[in-house]
Amino acid sequence: MKSFERYLLNRTTLANSETLAVYKANGGYKALEKVLKKPMTPAEIIAEMKASNLRGRGGAGFPCGMKWSFMPDPAKDPRPRYLAVNADESEPGTCKDRVLMEKDPHGLIEGCLIAAYAMRLQAVYIYVRGEYRKSYDTLLAAIAEARKAGLVGKNVMGTDFSCDVWMHKGAGAYICGEETGLMESLEGKRGHPRPKPPFPAGFGLWGKPTTVNNVETIFNVPFIVERGGAWFSSIGTQNSKGNFLCGISGHVNKPGVYELPFGVTAREIVDEVAGGIWKGRKCKAWFPGGSSCALLRGEDLDVVLDHDSLKTKGSSLGTAAMIVMDDTTSMARVMEIIARFYDHESCGQCSQCREGTQWLAQIFHRIATGHGKPDDVATLESLAKGMAPGKTICALADAAAIPTLSAVRIFKTELEECIRQAKDPLAPPRVEYAGAH
Amino acid sequence: MTKITVNGREIDADPKKPLIAACHENGIDVPMYCYHPGLRPVGSCRICQVEVKQGDAPARVVASCRTPVAEGMIVNTDSPKAHDVRRECLEFLLKNHPLDCPICDKAGECDLQDYSFAEGQTKGRTHEPRRKLEKRKSLGDVIVLDEERCILCSRCVRFFEDVTKKPQLTVADLGSRSVISTFLDKPLKGNYQGNIADICPVGALTLKRFRFQARVWNLSKHLSTCAECSRGCSVTAEVLRGGDTKRFRPRFNPKVNQWWMCDTGRFAFAHVNAADRAVALRRTADGLEACDLDAALSAAASALRGKSNVAVVLSPFATNEEAAAAKALAARLGAKTCFVSPAPNALKDDFLHTGDPCPNRRGLTDLGFAGLAAAEVAGAIAGAGAVVLAGERVVELLGAERVAALTGTRVVLFDTHCVDAAALDACIGVPVHVEKDGHWTNVEGHLGRLTIARGAPRGVRALDENLKRLSELVSPAGAKA
Repeated sequence: MKSFERYLLNRTTLANSETLAVYKANGGYKALEKVLKKPMTPAEIIAEMKASNLRGRGGAGFPCGMKWSFMPDPAKDPRPRYLAVNADESEPGTCKDRVLMEKDPHGLIEGCLIAAYAMRLQAVYIYVRGEYRKSYDTLLAAIAEARKAGLVGKNVMGTDFSCDVWMHKGAGAYICGEETGLMESLEGKRGHPRPKPPFPAGFGLWGKPTTVNNVETIFNVPFIVERGGAWFSSIGTQNSKGNFLCGISGHVNKPGVYELPFGVTAREIVDEVAGGIWKGRKCKAWFPGGSSCALLRGEDLDVVLDHDSLKTKGSSLGTAAMIVMDDTTSMARVMEIIARFYDHESCGQCSQCREGTQWLAQIFHRIATGHGKPDDVATLESLAKGMAPGKTICALADAAAIPTLSAVRIFKTELEECIRQAKDPLAPPRVEYAGAH
Repeated sequence: MTKITVNGREIDADPKKPLIAACHENGIDVPMYCYHPGLRPVGSCRICQVEVKQGDAPARVVASCRTPVAEGMIVNTDSPKAHDVRRECLEFLLKNHPLDCPICDKAGECDLQDYSFAEGQTKGRTHEPRRKLEKRKSLGDVIVLDEERCILCSRCVRFFEDVTKKPQLTVADLGSRSVISTFLDKPLKGNYQGNIADICPVGALTLKRFRFQARVWNLSKHLSTCAECSRGCSVTAEVLRGGDTKRFRPRFNPKVNQWWMCDTGRFAFAHVNAADRAVALRRTADGLEACDLDAALSAAASALRGKSNVAVVLSPFATNEEAAAAKALAARLGAKTCFVSPAPNALKDDFLHTGDPCPNRRGLTDLGFAGLAAAEVAGAIAGAGAVVLAGERVVELLGAERVAALTGTRVVLFDTHCVDAAALDACIGVPVHVEKDGHWTNVEGHLGRLTIARGAPRGVRALDENLKRLSELVSPAGAKA
């Protein structure tokens, strides 16, 4: 693996990295100063963002600069407008934003302020996953510190730019990480995703123009502003720019969150960064970016971990949260756990998702416990096709259907063998959880 | 208007309404569960998916209730792909739906059942038992919820949010564990709860008063108008095999009640279903005795003939046609006229109920009848030579004791039930409002129509007809000076 420059996680290893003093001593709030004092115009910032080709790090990979430019011109649309930062990180496998929030909260706050300035808005809401208590507390303290230092609130750095940053703690629903579900939840309602259109840039929080960005996306902003979009887009592959945080978990020797440039292969990550598969075993299967991406085989590890390359393999980058499974893993059990997750987290609005996720969970449970029926694999495939793509209000049904379809495609023989033998030959000892089927 | 093409036919669509409304208004069927024209669309049941092609983009399948119409849009509700996605959706909806249609009140008018019949699969693919939830959860005095049957369309939730603007229901819990619930299981409140049973597309919400009362295919449905207040909501009167009226249900009327009605009107069948109806009675030496209609009318004519200072008192339920006949009779008799005007009640609200329990106040007033309170009517008729009391419930509203107390006057009564009064010379039965044709004029001047939902008791004829015959008997045409 080629050497590369780290910038995202540099401060996180410092002592007291969450304090304003350490942040400032390590170049913090320089980008904001550049924006406000130079000053840069909002249009210039958006141009830099577009030049950087930064793609959203929340899973969908939408170009960030373009998303910002969808916000209406305040001269023509004087309504209040909001930035909502999606820190409801709750997909199985994904744990990258937590590192940033716990260890470098001011980086996120600075990014929020620059984004607010660029989109000419005065209120930022950070929606933190309910279980992330430490992230919440750290961010809250950091915001208080920044407010005291005149960085958040009225007249930031003594300029006439004012912006407040507010925190909101989720109540533990995965669906509130969906951007429209997040907005409903922020408004105090049930986190039921809204049908789109209307899109958030026109009708978002409280019906006002809103942009929703992932924590890591916003965290990249100060670096882009400080060092330029051209610098950022010089890192990475054709359509995936910059460094990204890869949270690798599963059967590897050194699981964790690592900063990597786009262009490294999954094998390099597993072998060189994460210390290889544990116990000297082989990789059987892996999720490239969280449990809602299509499963890939162990042989596919040579793929470059970026948007385009994974697409050619029939999967996607998602949140770059790799879940690696060794060759003793029961795929029936893996899919049982994943299907149960989506059944538990479906909001219940759309028929296909509400009933489909439950149905998938029931069938995988059946297969994994040796009660599979001969037509189960065919049923799984047709159910997953009936749920997605794009047949429901949000993408949760897709998120349940995609891994199912990939499992049925890649591990059909293994699933059929479980059904034929009326037991799962690879079954691990069972631990039943409350709420399991 | 926006021009779109649906199934090869060009139609004009209202750009303010979603695609599904354009289809329905042009007679193109698209199934729906969560969509209701009177509620904010949410696009959650996904059964209304159709294939849409716009511009050069490839055709997509979209939920038509959440898709705005756009000029030049090409819609296919009937393509194999559209049928496939709806069939898939239906299979999911039926996954946990209990198979209790034989004992379900909604069977026969259930959207889920209808569409399963049309498009469903003949064989289920589920192996697990269906979801076990509460089968009979009381939501107050009016509604029972069967959680297992619910398909979570959220129409009931939105009814209270969008229509009465007093949210009372919510979807509780997540995903396949979702249930409809009130806050802390409090009972529902208000006079409009029954509507959620109407708009429930399945048998999840049923009316306590209608539960297990009738199979809906045995009910004949007739256009009618609610008698409970001067709003005059358009309703259907639903009659079980020509006998009892089993329910009133709102009938869409954009000018009066849209899709809704209040519970007071919905359950107002005590009077229409009352037994022991009067047909024809006259006074003989032995007191009141049953007779045939002609004899009763003759007795009535003799009671009125030659009397001066006659009063004709109408019931507030009299139709415009009956009032016209009463007016003609009064002219022949040189009588003064009025109608019994019941006092306003406390049911007035900011939605439909006007609080005025007189369905035809406007019509009667327009025809020159003055509305008098019962006590005023009693005062006005105290010294009359003869009195005609006409219309259903006239005695009840005037007060039977006031009629019984009349002396020095003769009374001719047209009502559903007789009254024991010394002054009464003849009593002739009248049909109740579900047994007659006619019109009421509501508070805003809209005509509400009544039709014959069931026959009146044998021997009972229409009131206006009897009043005309009485006019002839009292003073034959041309005979009057």
